[in-house]
Amino acid sequence: MNGLGKKVLSPILLIAGILMMIIALVLDFSGAETTLRGPMLIIGAVLFFVGLYLFPTLRYHRAIVYFIFLFPLLFTFAVTVIIPLILGIGYSFTDWTGIRYTQVVGFANYTAMFKDPAFIWSVLITFLFVALNMILVNLVGFLLALLCTSGLRGGGFFRASYFLPNLIGGIVLGYIWQFVFSNVLIGLTGNISMISQTKSALFAIIVVYIWQYAGYIMLIYITGLTQIPGDVLEAAKIDGASPVQTLFQVKIPMIASTITICTFLTLTSAFKQFDVNMALTNGTGSVPNFLGNYLSNGTQMLALNIYNTAISKNNYALGQAKAVLFFIILAIVSLIQVRMSNKKEVEL
Amino acid sequence: MKKKLLGTLLAATLVTSLVACGSAETTTGADTSADTTAAESQAPAADADTSADSAASGQSIRLVNGKIEVDEMLKEAAAKYQEETGVEVIIESMGGGIDIQGTLKGYYQADNMPDIFVNGGDTDFANWTGQLVDMSDQPWVSDTDAAYKDADGKVIGFPYTTEAIGLAYNADILEKAGIDPAGLTSPAAMQEAFETLDSKKDELGLTAVIGYCAEATNLYWSSGNHLFGIYEDGGLSRDDTTYFDLLSDGGQIDTERFLEYAKMIQLFNQYSDPALLVSGTYDQQILGFASGQYAFVTQGSWIGATMTSDDAEQYAAAGNFKVGMAPYAFLDGIDTIMTNSPSWWAVYDNDNKDASLAFLNWLAGDEGQKILVKKAGFISPFKSCSFVADDPFAETITEYTAAGKTSAWHWLGNKEGLAQNALGVVYQDYASGAIADPQSFTDIVAQVCAQYYGQ
Repeated sequence: MNGLGKKVLSPILLIAGILMMIIALVLDFSGAETTLRGPMLIIGAVLFFVGLYLFPTLRYHRAIVYFIFLFPLLFTFAVTVIIPLILGIGYSFTDWTGIRYTQVVGFANYTAMFKDPAFIWSVLITFLFVALNMILVNLVGFLLALLCTSGLRGGGFFRASYFLPNLIGGIVLGYIWQFVFSNVLIGLTGNISMISQTKSALFAIIVVYIWQYAGYIMLIYITGLTQIPGDVLEAAKIDGASPVQTLFQVKIPMIASTITICTFLTLTSAFKQFDVNMALTNGTGSVPNFLGNYLSNGTQMLALNIYNTAISKNNYALGQAKAVLFFIILAIVSLIQVRMSNKKEVEL
Repeated sequence: MKKKLLGTLLAATLVTSLVACGSAETTTGADTSADTTAAESQAPAADADTSADSAASGQSIRLVNGKIEVDEMLKEAAAKYQEETGVEVIIESMGGGIDIQGTLKGYYQADNMPDIFVNGGDTDFANWTGQLVDMSDQPWVSDTDAAYKDADGKVIGFPYTTEAIGLAYNADILEKAGIDPAGLTSPAAMQEAFETLDSKKDELGLTAVIGYCAEATNLYWSSGNHLFGIYEDGGLSRDDTTYFDLLSDGGQIDTERFLEYAKMIQLFNQYSDPALLVSGTYDQQILGFASGQYAFVTQGSWIGATMTSDDAEQYAAAGNFKVGMAPYAFLDGIDTIMTNSPSWWAVYDNDNKDASLAFLNWLAGDEGQKILVKKAGFISPFKSCSFVADDPFAETITEYTAAGKTSAWHWLGNKEGLAQNALGVVYQDYASGAIADPQSFTDIVAQVCAQYYGQ
């Protein structure tokens, strides 16, 4: 195709494509009955991109090609993540019911959320849960990794079986453990299941969470441990270091970056804990006196609190406001994580 | 040359994938009326397959049903209706813990609203204010007391069954123990009956006098809705909303009445099966009653269906005993059980509304009632209906209704999530002994309600 052909064809295709897409969208929004609007939209989009590709420029040709290749992903990302996020922040300032909103209420949802002792309780136990889990999951995962790399007979089998719980969905896991606590272990606790008392229920959630997540963390630690160069370990051995010394003076410093990764992985995933929490206790548990109030949501983590506010209490706007706060907390955590791992990479 | 070929191939793949993505969009965009998209398939019995091809004809309406257990029977009714009139009715059943209103909101956002859908009470209906068809002029309205009316008195909900909440008992065991269930109309009589049964436990083969379960994670609806509803409506005439109004006004509790009620719950705590009381399950509770281990059970008439299906074997082994319902008599002279339609079907105001109204009319008539009552086991809310369900509880409900000894229930209008997010746990604490006596139970319930309504 010569330059002139391109010069003529490209604008025609671009204009035809845009027109077809606009007509299809107008047809859709006006609720017209024709079924041709779908193909029209697609053909319009294809024509537009062909026109864009043939656009008679040498300077921007490369950029245009990049854009065309990136477009499907960017479009999907925008539709599923960016647009809902913006809409969600907008809804949090209104009295949205999930169907419609009648007025903008400003920061009323945000102030209401901090006046609710049940929500404050949820935030507190979420932080407690995150702190405990960050330590315990890493500790258990690391010990399991040491065990699996110690040249134990059947190491591969153990590795696979420790990892297996991670492959079971959280809801299923929650119900399995609910059965275990309420039907099997109930003999030990005397007719009252562990998950019906707030303190022991929190402990139960932590146990289940470790059971689910430690195997995954173990795999990452195993990768780290096997990447330690053999000559370093051999040198340590020749110098007469005991296994404990090797562990603390050689192995752990060598896998420092792995530890950072695992810490943040457990941190963010513990924050977002939802499915096990929902299936195991659904947030129930009594707190007789918290800031002078009797609370019924003793084991309700932040994510479940947001879900219940919107769905079970039918207060979508307040739930949305809580979700925005949740987003901010997680964004801060993630930013710190990125900062820290960048620093570590420079050091290594 | 090779590079160019590769480039062309890649470009072709890209275009195909674009078209492929796009065409999926097209399908959903094109027949918004009845197509069920992949995202909605999480509803367990959503009939994506049947709905897809029928959209084009226009001769079809879609009904979202909230009782998954009668899914099959409703489909049978729908098939019969199609045979007679040519209008296809697509039944989409949801249940088993699905949040129906939440799913409907999703449908609404996706412009995929069903023509008829289930609503559970004031709060559900309030979601759809102005979008439901006024059915006041329908012929079936004069045939029932159970239609749902909005604040202006317009009929916007079609009743399809009747359920009853009362203290269900095993009539055979009461007879053997020499207790007349008709006399159970005062706290003293209940106390006495419980003591008598407790002393004869071994000889009657009972594990416990009553199967009462206050587990809060899965059974909060039993304690927090139904049992709490007894405080709200127990013994009142059908249109008396004194205590419901009091609760709606900032979550107030009449502590004097509630204290008496708390004493009754204390009685249940004391005489219930300890293995069931705090950490039991619904299945355990019903099985225990069906197999004759409990003389009483704190569940309503809906357990009849479970007793004659899932637990049929144990029920038969226990002699298919006769059942009945006594009032929850926490005050002297309470002699009513509570009956109501558990939810209503509303017609969404759209182009199909005439077809939807015609279908509901047909259901209220002889043909429809025959299937709903005989097959689905519904207890008909329509006066002209001559069919009787062979549910174990049908007889006792009919008796109470005929004698005019029924109260309505209004807990459907409690602030949304009250049972799940607030009350269920209080009952569980009371059962486990963490809340020691009726007075502190009353105080805590009053505090929790005020707090919940204050939010």
